[in-house]
Amino acid sequence: MNSPMQQPSPPLLEIRDLSLRFQKPERLIIDRVSFSIEAGSTLGVVGASGAGKSSIARTIMRLIEPDEGKVLFKGEDILQMDPRQLMATRQRIQLVFQEPSASLSPRRSIQQILLEPLQHFSIGNAEQRQEKILQTLQTVGLDGDVLRRYPHQFSSGQQQRIAIARALVTDPELLIADEAVASLDVSIQAQILQLIQTLQKDHGIAFLFISHDLGVIRQIADDIAVTYRGQLVEQSSADQFFSAAAHPYSKALLSFASHKPPLQPKGNRLRLGRGRTESDKAPVCVFARHCPEKVPVCEQVEPADHVIRYRNQHKAGRHCVKCHLYNKVNNHDF
Amino acid sequence: MKCPALSVKNLSIRFDDSSGRRQVVDRVSFSINAGEATGLVGESGCGKTMLSLAIFGLLPSTGVYVESDGIEINGHDISTLSAKQKRAVLGRDIAMIFQQPGTALDPVFTIGQQISAVYRRHNPGDKTKTRQAMLDALEDVGFGELEEIAASYPHQLSGGMRQLAMIAMATVCKPAVIIADEPTTALDSSTRLMILQQLERLRTKYQTAILLISHDLTVVRQSCSDVMVMYCGRLLEKTDCQSLFTRARHPYSAGLLSCIPQIGNSRPDGINAIPGQVPAATDLPRGCHFAPRCNRAESACRQSVPDFHYENGKGVACFRPL
Repeated sequence: MNSPMQQPSPPLLEIRDLSLRFQKPERLIIDRVSFSIEAGSTLGVVGASGAGKSSIARTIMRLIEPDEGKVLFKGEDILQMDPRQLMATRQRIQLVFQEPSASLSPRRSIQQILLEPLQHFSIGNAEQRQEKILQTLQTVGLDGDVLRRYPHQFSSGQQQRIAIARALVTDPELLIADEAVASLDVSIQAQILQLIQTLQKDHGIAFLFISHDLGVIRQIADDIAVTYRGQLVEQSSADQFFSAAAHPYSKALLSFASHKPPLQPKGNRLRLGRGRTESDKAPVCVFARHCPEKVPVCEQVEPADHVIRYRNQHKAGRHCVKCHLYNKVNNHDF
Repeated sequence: MKCPALSVKNLSIRFDDSSGRRQVVDRVSFSINAGEATGLVGESGCGKTMLSLAIFGLLPSTGVYVESDGIEINGHDISTLSAKQKRAVLGRDIAMIFQQPGTALDPVFTIGQQISAVYRRHNPGDKTKTRQAMLDALEDVGFGELEEIAASYPHQLSGGMRQLAMIAMATVCKPAVIIADEPTTALDSSTRLMILQQLERLRTKYQTAILLISHDLTVVRQSCSDVMVMYCGRLLEKTDCQSLFTRARHPYSAGLLSCIPQIGNSRPDGINAIPGQVPAATDLPRGCHFAPRCNRAESACRQSVPDFHYENGKGVACFRPL
């Protein structure tokens, strides 16, 4: 009777047990990841570099084919679609990348850059397309006179606005922003975040927002998913996460992000990073080796997803953590 | 009285080319004592990197005019040295850590070869001594498997490790001054913390003076005692970190601070941003360069340039400071 309420319609995007392996050298990049995004809401995916954040984004767009799992967009599995269906779906999901200068072709004018998605998806006639382009430019805060210019004539903040405009011309329902503000100055970053907030509020666009910056995530995410070495270790609403993060890794991330000085040099020697190999995939917690709250069971058994129960469960939403410390069977005093 | 490790007096940089005359750095003066770290913050395009390249003498000689009343390292003026004389100083007395370790490191040499090359340049001869210095430098920045790291090529290391290797290369000759130009941009927060910790360790261990250039005030707060705020080639505020974060005097400094996303228990209502953007260097506004974006600007701000007012070692260039 405590089961979460069933939604009458499927969520906008649902990922189920997604796994991705790279061969040679064999690495497990995404390890049984599941999450969902409701229409118009924003999921912030956080984690260190190499945790698989970008791979998840690329797998959703089917730019990389995963080994296992399901990617359901409005209940339909993207991974099973034929090319025609896939194309129609991609119109509804668009990507914005980290480096605006690298994601805009230097040889094309802004007009050509914004027109291409409309041509590709055969949207409207010439007149309607031009109208759509001008309207989108207005949304991202640029004038129509930018159209004849080229990407190098713009600052990085304006380039990112153009990249966002390109993603918006097809009227997507979901925007995947992969570190979209990471390479921008704080002041420009704030302006782009303002724009993203407008898109959330006025246009009802859902976001999968990938970032390593918890401060940025705090500004715009409704829900948080924390990735570590290919696994989702914690999932909760943003308010719960920032007031009561549960997983030891999440707590570590939050303490890294706190702005407080001073720094205490650590004595730990640094080892060569080798990624995660298949042999590492022994059934233990992925964070056990670095965990400050480790207990013996962490190095023997892989933790399951434990749901943290709150007194006001309906208001709090689902808070899920992959950690033995939250297993009531092992830990009675929690 | 001991002289500061790095002292820059009235440094100006001007570009003259077909697109017009651009004043990219305008009479900037500052000094850093041994064992201290000073942060230099400002948006992209405000002249931070130009300043560091000019101190290092890495700007091209045609079309660029660098003028100063002296750039001194431990009291020795390096601005008047010839290119050949300067080569003896760079790497030994002053070293630089660049933003992109992937581009700054040579892909066809191992980390060990590249660090050794810097040491050998200033301490020729003895191969075993060079090797030992190289391994010591790697150990100093926190590496464990020294031999293995030394034998690695840059592409075999992660971004954070490459940056640590760059720091090892910069510190192998134990320079008096290190200029770190955005050393942690594009690294995630845990790696960033590690890099800053190592810089901090080296600073206290070898009493190095560090000029840390960053657009990220958080980074500066975590690792510097003093901070300078730059905009359109001019210094607008110079103060200690504590004062800047508790009581910024220049409206631009306050604007930059308000842009930092805060992590609180409740989601913030809106996002603060400084309206507008940095003007092009060819088209700088009259008077205070920040006036068009400033909500406190009055007519005087648009007419003349405010002087730098010093008070108890802190300074601000503003007619209407906060």
